[in-house]
Amino acid sequence: MTDPAARRLAILGSVTGALLAAAVLGAFLVAPEDADQGVIQRIFYFHVSIALVSLIAFAVSFVSGILYLRRRDQKYDEITVVSVGLGLMFSGLVVITGSIWAKASWGTWWVWEDPRLVTYLIVILLYAAFFMLRSSAEGERSARYSAIFAVVAFAAVPLSFYSVRVASSFVHPVVIDTAGSKVPGSMMVWFLVSLAGMIGLFFTLLQLELMQRRADRSLRDLKVRLERAAERRLSRAV
Amino acid sequence: MSLTWRQLRALLRKDLRIELRTRETIAAMLLFAVVAMLIFQFAVAQRSAEVTLLAGGFAWATIALTAVLGVGRTWVPEREQRVIDGLLVAPVPRLVFLVARTVVLVVYLTAVELVVMPLAVVFFAPDTGLSDLGLVLVSGLVANVGIALVGAFLASMSVFSRARELLLPVLFLPVIVPNVIAAAGAAYAVLGPAPDVADYRGYCLFLGVYAVTFGLVAYAIYDYVLDD
Amino acid sequence: MRAFGQRTAVAGVDLVLPAGHRVGIVGPNGAGKSTVVRMLATLATPDSGTLKLFGHACPRDANRARGSLGYLAHDPLVYLDLTAWQNLELFADLYGVSRGRDAIAAALDRVGLLARALDPVRTFSRGMAQRLGIARLTLHAPRLLVLDEAYAGLDAAGTALLDGVLEALPADGGVVLVTHEIERAIALTDEVMVLRAGRIVETVSTAGLDTAGFLARYRGIAG
Repeated sequence: MTDPAARRLAILGSVTGALLAAAVLGAFLVAPEDADQGVIQRIFYFHVSIALVSLIAFAVSFVSGILYLRRRDQKYDEITVVSVGLGLMFSGLVVITGSIWAKASWGTWWVWEDPRLVTYLIVILLYAAFFMLRSSAEGERSARYSAIFAVVAFAAVPLSFYSVRVASSFVHPVVIDTAGSKVPGSMMVWFLVSLAGMIGLFFTLLQLELMQRRADRSLRDLKVRLERAAERRLSRAV
Repeated sequence: MSLTWRQLRALLRKDLRIELRTRETIAAMLLFAVVAMLIFQFAVAQRSAEVTLLAGGFAWATIALTAVLGVGRTWVPEREQRVIDGLLVAPVPRLVFLVARTVVLVVYLTAVELVVMPLAVVFFAPDTGLSDLGLVLVSGLVANVGIALVGAFLASMSVFSRARELLLPVLFLPVIVPNVIAAAGAAYAVLGPAPDVADYRGYCLFLGVYAVTFGLVAYAIYDYVLDD
Repeated sequence: MRAFGQRTAVAGVDLVLPAGHRVGIVGPNGAGKSTVVRMLATLATPDSGTLKLFGHACPRDANRARGSLGYLAHDPLVYLDLTAWQNLELFADLYGVSRGRDAIAAALDRVGLLARALDPVRTFSRGMAQRLGIARLTLHAPRLLVLDEAYAGLDAAGTALLDGVLEALPADGGVVLVTHEIERAIALTDEVMVLRAGRIVETVSTAGLDTAGFLARYRGIAG
């Protein structure tokens, strides 16, 4: 492989793989078991890091959306759509892991009092609409609307989080405080490893998808050029 | 009188004149809102003794769904009568179109609210005093600004898209969820079992922050929506 | 000297219109006529290249150019649920026309609709709505008319009116006339451009043009 982008991707992918493997080993074998919650607490290492990474993904789509609007470069549109897709995937994992945790801790799959779980449900609905908007417009307009909605949706994320949190804390006492604030140091290390791995995973998948899209695009361009050349030769022959 | 102000006034007058002549939007919204309240009554309230707690929630669920109708009507005369190009070639700052739409939607939503809130009180919370109803209406006015702004913004995109009737609610409702949560919270803080002025103020503040946030977003990027 | 030029770049379309110049754009369906004209009317943004109207870069400063621009297409671009007067009042306000009432009355009179000023456009015939569209076109005394197949929907009275509008333009008033009727383009403009597959393939001056020869050539180009 001589393509420098591909080589960078390979390195990034290897580091990510190593980090994730370390995180799995660390979280399940090395880290101390939580006294109250037992083994299920170990899902926290992944749940929280996935949640943070999905926010990073949406932040990336927000920035690339703004860049697209300013520069009208298809590159940024691709980053926006891939980031939103990955952000949605991570958000889905947040809800699933959060739900498992809720079942283990409180015996129920869904806890409306957990502001994170509810926020991520709203966020999923919000960004699912992104793909509907995108597919219902054509060409440049589709890219522009995607960029605009990526900005609007990202503005809605903190507002959703805040409104859900405030609503649940007013109506019910807060059952769950932020998990990250009370963890002991040894847990924190494995959490950070897991977080780094997840961030690496996001950027690896982002790069992979972008490279694939670029390859598709240059293949299409090539096809169009070939067809044009054939057409010209044909018309000259006539 | 500045040109921008003159343009804004003209756009508002245009929408209200069309509405007065056709009487389509507000009538449909009001009917829909009343029917929705009836559905809540029969689907939920009849089965529960403690409906007073839910009055604000019913009202806001109704208003949010009714807003979809009103938002869906914006740009419809322009599209059906093919006047969009006529507006867009005029030297109007694009933000003025958004502000005009927002104001019209605030008017419609306020009309809906003035019917829905008293109905909610009569149906579900008959012991409510007039001053409490007033407080709920005030928080509703603030909430309407945010809902109208987001609706007007998103409608300008969906109007040029395929399957716009389906697209708009899917885009619009998740974005206004925080606003609806807070508006219902404000109503609960007044009508609920333990009225709390601090909660009410907090929710109103949030509604204001919501409107300002999307106001800034719109200010920054609305030009791109109409910039084909 | 006044800088008064429009430059478009749509897949290699490059044109500069001096003040008072009248240009016709013709070409077969799908040649890109409507894309070009929508860009000139500030309704579309070029993907690459630049567009300047009256020296203002578009879309950034489009609003400065828009006030001097008159746009008419196949549709009259008026609201069916407003009266003729209310329509023109709206556009007079949007364009900041001074002494709006007099201007509206004069414009309605010119197109013979003063007697129907207070009737909603929905009750108008298509020809009357088109005439109202012409009144809207001229209300703000534009310096450049962009006409996109504007003659296509007009009846005889409307055609005569629009011809009159073009004749009455001041000497520095420009026209871009997009049409599939080549003869009309030749009759009304100084220069005719033939657009094909998004490119200008031929530009001819209409003064002393060998019309028959050009038409034969055009049919060859348009295929």
